[in-house]
Amino acid sequence: MKPLVVLFGMAIFTGVMTAQNPPAQAPAPTAAAPADTTPAPAAPAAEEKSAPASPVPSTELSVSGSVEAGYRWQTGVGGSEATYRSFVNLGSGPKLLGADFTFTDPKSRWFDRATVRAYSWGDEPYGTLHADASKSRVYDLRGDYRDITYYNNLPSYADPLLSRGIVLDEQSFDLRRKLTNISLDILPGNWFIPYLAFERDSGAGTGVTAFVTNGNEYPVPTTLYDATALYRGGVRFELRHFHVTLEEGGTTYKNDQTLYDTQKNAGNVSTPVLGQTLSLSNMMAAYGIRGSSAYTKGLFTANPVSWLDLYGQFLYSQPNADVHYQDSATGSLYLQSQVLFYTSQQTLINAAAKLPHTTGSFGAEVRPLKRVRILESWLTDRMHGASSQMSNQVLNTTPTTQIAALLASSLVANYSQQEIQLLFDVNKKLTLRGGYRYVWGDANSVVPGGLQMVSQGELRRNVGLGGLVFRPWHKLTLSGDAEVASSSGVYFRTSLYNYQKVRAKGRYQVVNSLNLAVDFTMLNNQNPSPGINFDAKANQESISLFWAPGAGKHWELQGSYGHSYLRSNIGYLAPQDLSPQASLYTDNSHTATALLTMNLPGVKWAPHSPVKVTAGGSFVLSSGSRPTSYYQPEAKASVPLVKNVTWVSEWRYYGYGEAFYLYEGFRTHLVTTGLRFTR
Amino acid sequence: MRNTNELTKMARLIQTVVWMGAAGMGMAHLAAQDVAPPYVGSQVCQACHEDIYNAFQKSPHHVVDSDQKRGWVNKACESCHGPAQKHTETVSAEDIRNPAKITAVAADKVCLTCHLNQPTHVGRIESSHARDQVSCVGCHPVHAESGQKLVTRTPVAINEKCASCHVNVWAAFQKPAHHKLPEGAMSCVDCHNPHGSISNAMTQTFAANDRGCVGCHGDKRGPFTFEHAPVRFEGCGSCHEPHGSVNPRMLIRQEVRFVCLECHANLPTVPVAGAVGGVVGVVPPSFHNLNSPRYQNCTVCHQKIHGSYVDRSLLK
Repeated sequence: MKPLVVLFGMAIFTGVMTAQNPPAQAPAPTAAAPADTTPAPAAPAAEEKSAPASPVPSTELSVSGSVEAGYRWQTGVGGSEATYRSFVNLGSGPKLLGADFTFTDPKSRWFDRATVRAYSWGDEPYGTLHADASKSRVYDLRGDYRDITYYNNLPSYADPLLSRGIVLDEQSFDLRRKLTNISLDILPGNWFIPYLAFERDSGAGTGVTAFVTNGNEYPVPTTLYDATALYRGGVRFELRHFHVTLEEGGTTYKNDQTLYDTQKNAGNVSTPVLGQTLSLSNMMAAYGIRGSSAYTKGLFTANPVSWLDLYGQFLYSQPNADVHYQDSATGSLYLQSQVLFYTSQQTLINAAAKLPHTTGSFGAEVRPLKRVRILESWLTDRMHGASSQMSNQVLNTTPTTQIAALLASSLVANYSQQEIQLLFDVNKKLTLRGGYRYVWGDANSVVPGGLQMVSQGELRRNVGLGGLVFRPWHKLTLSGDAEVASSSGVYFRTSLYNYQKVRAKGRYQVVNSLNLAVDFTMLNNQNPSPGINFDAKANQESISLFWAPGAGKHWELQGSYGHSYLRSNIGYLAPQDLSPQASLYTDNSHTATALLTMNLPGVKWAPHSPVKVTAGGSFVLSSGSRPTSYYQPEAKASVPLVKNVTWVSEWRYYGYGEAFYLYEGFRTHLVTTGLRFTR
Repeated sequence: MRNTNELTKMARLIQTVVWMGAAGMGMAHLAAQDVAPPYVGSQVCQACHEDIYNAFQKSPHHVVDSDQKRGWVNKACESCHGPAQKHTETVSAEDIRNPAKITAVAADKVCLTCHLNQPTHVGRIESSHARDQVSCVGCHPVHAESGQKLVTRTPVAINEKCASCHVNVWAAFQKPAHHKLPEGAMSCVDCHNPHGSISNAMTQTFAANDRGCVGCHGDKRGPFTFEHAPVRFEGCGSCHEPHGSVNPRMLIRQEVRFVCLECHANLPTVPVAGAVGGVVGVVPPSFHNLNSPRYQNCTVCHQKIHGSYVDRSLLK
């Protein structure tokens, strides 16, 4: 239904805009321009060439594009279907593989140009629809809709019952997230541009989660639903020497999760507590969250003089939430703090939270000399949140036990950074860059409880910046980027502290048909503070090529190879006995992709359309803390049948394996075949 | 560490000096402009560059040829390539400006003549593309030749464009747990603003200044009654590797407990000389036995790990 709603909405908008457009303005400048310019006397040769082909420009609506539909067979999943669905999730059935149409109206009656694109519809995990229409200097309307399966059920992820032979991810879900985005710019290209937009993000589905009580937790079914709608509108003033955007917007939010279970549930703990086995006979819980926010956005850019550009932003939002929660449960339940067994409980919670958030930034680019540019920027970001909660829990004991609480918590985060960089063009081929960034902030979080827990942190970081761009000739570009930082305070043990970051990229056009790109990144981070001793190193190196001799007339090859290595080491004390332990993580991954496309000579019934065959795929081999292999070979063919009709076919294989969790591996073949109709 | 404050003071002093110098030199740098340059008009260009001319008719930039406001009527080619009189006489590539072959800053200057004062460029100073001299024409083929479009719209085409430079990032998307970019359901610009942003890594924002992630993951936006501090202070990247990972849920560690324990380490931090403040969240509230499978995934119980509306321990 949603795509129809989107299209319907766009049609209404389009109709409204057309109705508002006076008839005298109907011939749009862009449509008229070619007709005006063609007879110009300065291009006689071009006139001679083009005149016979199109003596009278068409005034009819033209449609061009293609639609591709077919059927996919899945041979069945060998191994873990849950993992397959979590990572791939493509199924069998009839599919709309893709549609892409462009409508052009030379008379600009409703629009100059409109496009509609749709990909992967027909019970597919990632369906997308895009439609837009525009009329020069009158309106620009865009709409996007996505319907994405959000499935995650990995047996090894959260399975406390595996030792009992029960494979169940107790934090799994099967949702569809639907995203809608519509925007309308009025009078685009003018100095005054009002605009409106609407966005909606929703998720609905089912899953498994845990109902947590003292002494035991019970995996139970859950239904999930959340929706966020965003409305915004504003005006843009785009003038020669400055621009200002003023926008007001707001969101509404709802979240209605429920948990329920009507069968006896032994939970994760089978060991009796003080001789009594804990269990759940019946439960329900419901969340009713309602939220809203209003926000203000102000943006500006200016170039008051030729050697100075200015940029600024002011952003303010104040999201808030109202919370209602209730649960009831019966069974053999236990209150640890009072060593008390009971048979049922009811909980009622009301809460409210708000989080005002202000952000401001200002920047300038100064060009004092022809070869020198100075970039200065400043940013501050401030969040000051507060919340309160009132809860009441009644336990069916003799006499009845009532636990009531009134809690308040807060969270404050202030972040600022200032940065200056100087860019110097040594010559036309080499630019050097150097600069400095200072980052500072403070944060504290107050979470109430039996012990009021206050966490405070401060952030102080000096960062040296450097870089270069070297372009010895226009077919070769090399760039490098470095950051070296020293901190005297950070928020978390694993935060960036004393770090060195290096990035280098290169692009080289060896010959016209062969392009190479290389990419290297490296990050070292150490926090030597006693009690932390964090040491992390990551580096990635990749190379890619694109080779298409003769502009890909006969064949083209694209491929890449990447290697990434990550090592992290930080200590902690095991909670059960406070023994020192190390969290040592390594990941050493090799990734490769390749795709060879061959254009074979045209078949006799369609001599001008080549038969196209593509083969390739990708693989990932990872060793380290979670050794994994993932293979995705594929082959495609497209064979023209008659004019405007092409037979398309594809084979894919997915093979996934893990060394430590063998039961999570899967493999499957997918074969898709269909027809593409082109207009 | 001891020198942090001295470093800060010195850097600020240097900054002040640089700024004062820059302002002075800038005032003196108002160079005289060329007067009445010899333009020839787009029709003359068409005579030799017909393919480009024809492709340009379908480009949004074609409006420059007809829009009185911009002052380049019938001179759209020269609005970017500069006066072409000499080039038409010598037919030499040396006598015409080619933005594809000049420095990035010079090419950008041409584009920003018209496009600077637009909201797109408000984060330009923070953009690593601007710092690394990635010019506008590196991503936007102005003539829209060979079927390429001035502004790439389809997710597949956008991803292909970004991946042509960000090869490392694209490699990460081949890992099993990834956002659905290779499948064409998303594009790089869903999360990143290539023109610059106030956020790290040029990430998009939602509803003014929230992290762009919550644009799709609205249930993680809050505000929560009980926040999980790293989500607010350092963002989703504290625990997730959004481009792709071999770990479930794109986590940065192979099992959930290690993600948690690296911060909730039971080890109070001892401040060192010169250090300010402490670190947040180091002490866990209870003594779970991690040898038991029951406690090996913290989020089985602490399921509202992104923040809870009703429970301070994030249990519900």
